[in-house]
Amino acid sequence: MTPEEERAQRRAALRALLARPLLTAERDAEALVLVRRHLTELRSWLTRETGWRLLVDAGAARLFKTASDPRDGTHPARGKAGEPYGRRRYVLLCLALAMLERADAQTTLGRLAEEVLAAAAEPELDFVFTLDSRAERADLVAVVRMLLDWGVLRRVAGDEEAYLSATGDVLYDVRRPVLAALLTGTRGPSTITADSFEERLAELIAEPVADTDDLRNQALRRGLTRKLLEDPVIYYADLDEAERAYLASQRHAVVRRIEEATGLVAEVRAEGIAMVDPDDELTDVRMPEQRTDGHVTLLVAEHLATRGEVPLEELRGFVREAARAHASFWRRGVTEPGAEDGLLSTALAKLTALRLVRLEEGAAMGLPAIARYALDEPVIKGQ
Amino acid sequence: MTSPSQEHQPFAHLSAPNAALYREVLRAFARAKERFIVHLRPEDVAAELRRDNDDALSQALDKLREWGNLRADADTGRVTSVEDFHRKRFLFQLTPAGQAAEQAIAFYEEAIGQRGALQSVALGDIAEHLQSLAVLARDADPDPARVHLLLLSLTERFSSLADNAQAFMASLRRAIDFSDGDVEGFVAYKERLIEYINRFIADLANSGARIARLLSELEGCGHEGLLRLAARREAADAVPDGEDAAEAYGRAERRAFESWLNRWRGLRDWFISAGVERPSQARLLRQAAITAIKQLIDAVGLLNERRSGRSDRSADFRALARWFAEAPDEEATHRLWRAAFGLASARHLTVTAATLEEWREVTAGTSWQEAPPIKISPQLRRTGSYERRGKPNRVADRSQARRLLLEQAEREAAETAAARAALRTEGPMLLSELDVLDPRAFRLFLGLLGDALAARRPGETEVKTVTADGSMEVRLALVPDGGEVEIRTEDGVLTGPEHVVEIVDLMAVAP
Repeated sequence: MTPEEERAQRRAALRALLARPLLTAERDAEALVLVRRHLTELRSWLTRETGWRLLVDAGAARLFKTASDPRDGTHPARGKAGEPYGRRRYVLLCLALAMLERADAQTTLGRLAEEVLAAAAEPELDFVFTLDSRAERADLVAVVRMLLDWGVLRRVAGDEEAYLSATGDVLYDVRRPVLAALLTGTRGPSTITADSFEERLAELIAEPVADTDDLRNQALRRGLTRKLLEDPVIYYADLDEAERAYLASQRHAVVRRIEEATGLVAEVRAEGIAMVDPDDELTDVRMPEQRTDGHVTLLVAEHLATRGEVPLEELRGFVREAARAHASFWRRGVTEPGAEDGLLSTALAKLTALRLVRLEEGAAMGLPAIARYALDEPVIKGQ
Repeated sequence: MTSPSQEHQPFAHLSAPNAALYREVLRAFARAKERFIVHLRPEDVAAELRRDNDDALSQALDKLREWGNLRADADTGRVTSVEDFHRKRFLFQLTPAGQAAEQAIAFYEEAIGQRGALQSVALGDIAEHLQSLAVLARDADPDPARVHLLLLSLTERFSSLADNAQAFMASLRRAIDFSDGDVEGFVAYKERLIEYINRFIADLANSGARIARLLSELEGCGHEGLLRLAARREAADAVPDGEDAAEAYGRAERRAFESWLNRWRGLRDWFISAGVERPSQARLLRQAAITAIKQLIDAVGLLNERRSGRSDRSADFRALARWFAEAPDEEATHRLWRAAFGLASARHLTVTAATLEEWREVTAGTSWQEAPPIKISPQLRRTGSYERRGKPNRVADRSQARRLLLEQAEREAAETAAARAALRTEGPMLLSELDVLDPRAFRLFLGLLGDALAARRPGETEVKTVTADGSMEVRLALVPDGGEVEIRTEDGVLTGPEHVVEIVDLMAVAP
């Protein structure tokens, strides 16, 4: 293999890990082979640049990513159809995992449901779950499907649909090694006694404070590298004094190392840095996109790029107008009263996730990087 | 066998408030009996128990007499003090019922306390005994006493082996379901246990094979003769009374012989498998032992995991569940999700190659407003799509798809064959006699019917044709005045005029 090919493989492996921090043999066989092949270099790079642990065994690879920014709420768990998880599913997921942690090597969906039901009924948990409605069963099944996807469970017999229609059960193997590699916080949540949500979150991801200059610099570099690897745009305004100072002197080195290892390209501007992916692969939120929602997002972005802070009411009007103007090319129903709410919230969610827009009370505000996009006239072929 | 009499309750003391004292007293009597001492005075009992000869003891003795464990006889021995002379004095001894109860309790305690051990030794002994029996069996006139004794000790060794195996399996299960409290003990114990089971499996495999061979050998040279010898000796022990001694003797011998045969069968089933469905006990035991080792190793792994964990993960997940439930809003739950699990994908913007070129000249101090933007022409629905700029697709690996297709083809072929077999008729039969058809067979049948009816010329009432694929031959003859018939299938009911139908599967290998 030429050095060029080696590097391409190493990049592919690292990108796979960044996109899917839990790779399983069933689902990501190719990526797992690459990760194993370049394990030594990957591990040393990740340890040096990010401090993230990389665990690889026969059936899975797990990169223990940590949250680069605990304030960022745009990374929900998503179900099969891409719908974000709600509170109930999150709680069910944790209860199911707690039960599986104590389970034998095998269990069934029915048994798991009973145990979760019992656990949900504990008085200290302020949570109502009865399994009576189909919606509740569907939530449990969605959670179980996610566990199957992660490889925590492996289906042996039966299928979840049968359970949903209350006509059957499903048998699973429980895979403890994967179960053991799910939590990524620096501390076990059960050891944290704080009462307020924010304190808990802060303690969960708190890392030991460095006490020498070398270690402090290392911590700064790792923190910045994590942010650049994970987030679409880093604004200098969001960084603290020490980070800004470090970046001012070391930006070039940090950025180059990331470019070399991942194939991302640095878009360095006066307001901040965006590591962009020319291949348009390493992301879970895409822009630009085709179809109605993609077009709405672009229109809203352009509208915000030149206007600073815009009240949501005005944006709704703007989207209504746009829907009328493009009615013949957008999906049906966009011109109905109230349709603009859905269109706008989808567009804003996407722009917020990409750090192009910040939502204030009743208003949206374009952030500097939103100026990256310029809209040409829509091309409409095939008429 | 007479049932224990009503007034005797030799086990009553076990549930009495003072059970411990009663047990001690009775054990003292049992121990004395082992030394062939039958009668005990209260002071002897006291001495045996190293306690004072006080009221509690005399009450206990009295109570035991009441329940029928002890019998009291007036003590007429000389006394050496006035008080003793005035006191009611008794000699105590165990009644038969009390004696039996003692033995039963001793047996029970032994059985419960048994920490099943697999005796490799027993295996060896059984093999030795069988070897000796084989030698005797080859003898023209074997010594009945030796045969009987050998068989008896074989039985004894074997039943203890079987009991122990049973107890062992039970205690293994207990060992695997160790309580969380006894972690250290479990970890220390498991090494020995695994080694022990391993050794036993090896022994069972070796001796078991040898025993199986010897058993077959013995059966080859007439094991029943030996069993009959033993039965005769036992029958001779059963002293017959009355004038039909000979008949009673015959009966006893038959009974004894049957019971020996039965034991032999047990021994056989233990070591020799009767086909795949009925594996021998030894094989089952071996499998169970191997499974046990697996489970033990799992259990140890689980333990190590729990001990090495920073905290108890199950408690961690429960704590997280509580945090999610108490989070102030939906967005907070998403933040917690990311912080706790870190399973989200990295997220990056993209850029076109053309714009990248333009950016080469852009310095780091340029603001986003001033840098050249990415020009996007939204391409709307009728145009197909906005061109995603990704890497060109690599040549797809089709081996899996091919394998799937192959599997599907095989499955379909198998299903068709099964359907054909289901349709094949044993000679001519009426349509109305066709059994309920499953959907696949029914579709095939419809095809046949179509082929046959298409081949029939107008006016004909009978037709014989081979299906288009040459796999089946069908003969169809209209039954005059047959009326309408119904063919029930899983898909529904087909109605039509009654025919005689004969279907021959040309693909089936002729018997």
